[in-house]
Amino acid sequence: MEQTIAANRLSTATHRVGARAAHARRTRERVSSWMFLLPALVFFIGYQVYPIFRVLWISFTDYAFLSNRPAHWVWFDNYAAALHDPLMWVSLWRALEFTLMFLPGTIILPLLLAILVDRVTNPRLATLYRVVLLVPAVIPSTLVFVLWKWMYNFQTGPINHLLVDVLGLFTLQDAPQWLGGTPLTLPSIAIMEVWWGLGYHTIFFIAGLAAIPRDLPEAARIDGASEWQVFWHVIRPRLAPVMMILVVLRFGSAMAVIDEYLIFGGFNRASPTYTWTMFMYDQAFKTGMWRQGFGAAIGMIGAIAMMIVVAFLLRIFRPRD
Amino acid sequence: MATTLNAIHPTAPPRRRLGRLGRGRAAIVRHAVINLFMLIILLPLAWVLLMSVKSLPDAMRGTFWPRRFDFTHYRYVFEKIDTLPINLFNSIYVTAGTVVLTSTCAVLAGYALVHLKPRGRDFIIAAFLVSLYFPVRVVSLISVYETQHFLGLINSTSGLILPYVTLNLAISVLIMRSMFQLVPHELMEAAKIDGAGPWRTLWLVGVPMVRNGLVVIFIVNFVTAWGEFLLCTTLTNDQTARTMPVVLAGAQGGLGQWSWPNLAAVYVIVVTPGILAFSFAQKLFFKGLTEGVVKG
Repeated sequence: MEQTIAANRLSTATHRVGARAAHARRTRERVSSWMFLLPALVFFIGYQVYPIFRVLWISFTDYAFLSNRPAHWVWFDNYAAALHDPLMWVSLWRALEFTLMFLPGTIILPLLLAILVDRVTNPRLATLYRVVLLVPAVIPSTLVFVLWKWMYNFQTGPINHLLVDVLGLFTLQDAPQWLGGTPLTLPSIAIMEVWWGLGYHTIFFIAGLAAIPRDLPEAARIDGASEWQVFWHVIRPRLAPVMMILVVLRFGSAMAVIDEYLIFGGFNRASPTYTWTMFMYDQAFKTGMWRQGFGAAIGMIGAIAMMIVVAFLLRIFRPRD
Repeated sequence: MATTLNAIHPTAPPRRRLGRLGRGRAAIVRHAVINLFMLIILLPLAWVLLMSVKSLPDAMRGTFWPRRFDFTHYRYVFEKIDTLPINLFNSIYVTAGTVVLTSTCAVLAGYALVHLKPRGRDFIIAAFLVSLYFPVRVVSLISVYETQHFLGLINSTSGLILPYVTLNLAISVLIMRSMFQLVPHELMEAAKIDGAGPWRTLWLVGVPMVRNGLVVIFIVNFVTAWGEFLLCTTLTNDQTARTMPVVLAGAQGGLGQWSWPNLAAVYVIVVTPGILAFSFAQKLFFKGLTEGVVKG
């Protein structure tokens, strides 16, 4: 009895010493942990967090980059001006139009392809397919755009060559003008984007399929379920998380597309590629007036509109357990 | 219904045999569909590759397979387009800088977030996550221009590296975080007990274990920096300050130095490094992708 008490006392004493040392070590670790985080945080705050708040501030002022006079706080004037401008609504609608053209293809086609590739049992063939699938994903964005700018070229592009010279569906007079602000521009860009993401998204789904235990669909099949039933009741619910990530991320990237429009569309306000991102860019950098305050408000309105839809999507797709 | 069927015919032999026959045909259809998709993916690239070795008349004619091959365009673009080496160097320089900086930041931050447990790490992770959904790249442009102007970095090739690092920083940190979550705590503790400081622990124990994730981060950042367009056109004015893909995007195909086969030759030169690097690293890349991105 006595012994145990003594032993207990001893152990609490060593514990206390140990605790103090551990505490000192924890503090040292906390300090050094911030040292490790510092480089990432400097870049993240300097080029992502600060700019967003800076743009938010600019959107409430009449800030103009080239002017000498200091910026005045104008409250919601820029927002009111933007919301009264029909171009704001048209440009938001155009971005949504593009998103609706692009999103279904970029989810459904890869899903289909993933289910097919997932069944390939020959390991060599499976690897080959996967490598080919990821080739477009390692082509940098601008090079994808340049490639398709050539593919869609009115005179020398292979697509029109196929339509005019090989199939004879069109003549040089009425051949489709794919890019450059025509009504076909947005669908053309959407097709290009689906091509670009096809492999990458397929790999995403394949990884999701690999996480489903093999015996689950097998058991359903032995029970006599049709392939469609297996897909709908066994595979689809288990792929839902992957699909949710893809839908939300791709919605975000599609609504905020700008590089493609800069390369394929130009600053014609009537062009279907003149979306809110182009409107913002035009006002902030191109018109010569450099109205950054107004441009910032356009950017913020676009971003807020997007965030509302993203929140809505996250709610729809929330796990229901 | 399905289960009752199974109860009556536990093995259901006739159904099975039919199924195997059907399966053979299904496999053929399956491979046909897959190969059609593969063709769609590869045809545009094959077209560019062939274009770069077509003779000029063939290039104008538009047929897929050239009547006469001409391999001189590659030499021509290096000898006659005087900004080409500069633009290529810019691309390599900016990309290398971005990849090295982002990977370093991501490894350090990922390690700290998992194994050093700083206070407020949940907040940092949440901030990184939110930045993935917010259109930061577009909306922040006005302020980034201002910052670069303030730092005297407008029209500077080196200056591009700073905003480029952040383009994929959040996703890189998150990938590294999920990679470090796979490294057992005990291993890190053991290294600490052996007297290694956090730096040594990270370098000797941590980094070798997150190798596959590093490959993913290298490739993702390489692809982004190599092909970045928006910041490059906005923050630089001179062709000599720009990267190769951006110059290529502005080039109009026609005659002379920017004739179609020449453009295609430049294209092949610029697009090959990424595809080659990926082909060599693909095994590690897939491992890293499934470990870090999907499970994380």
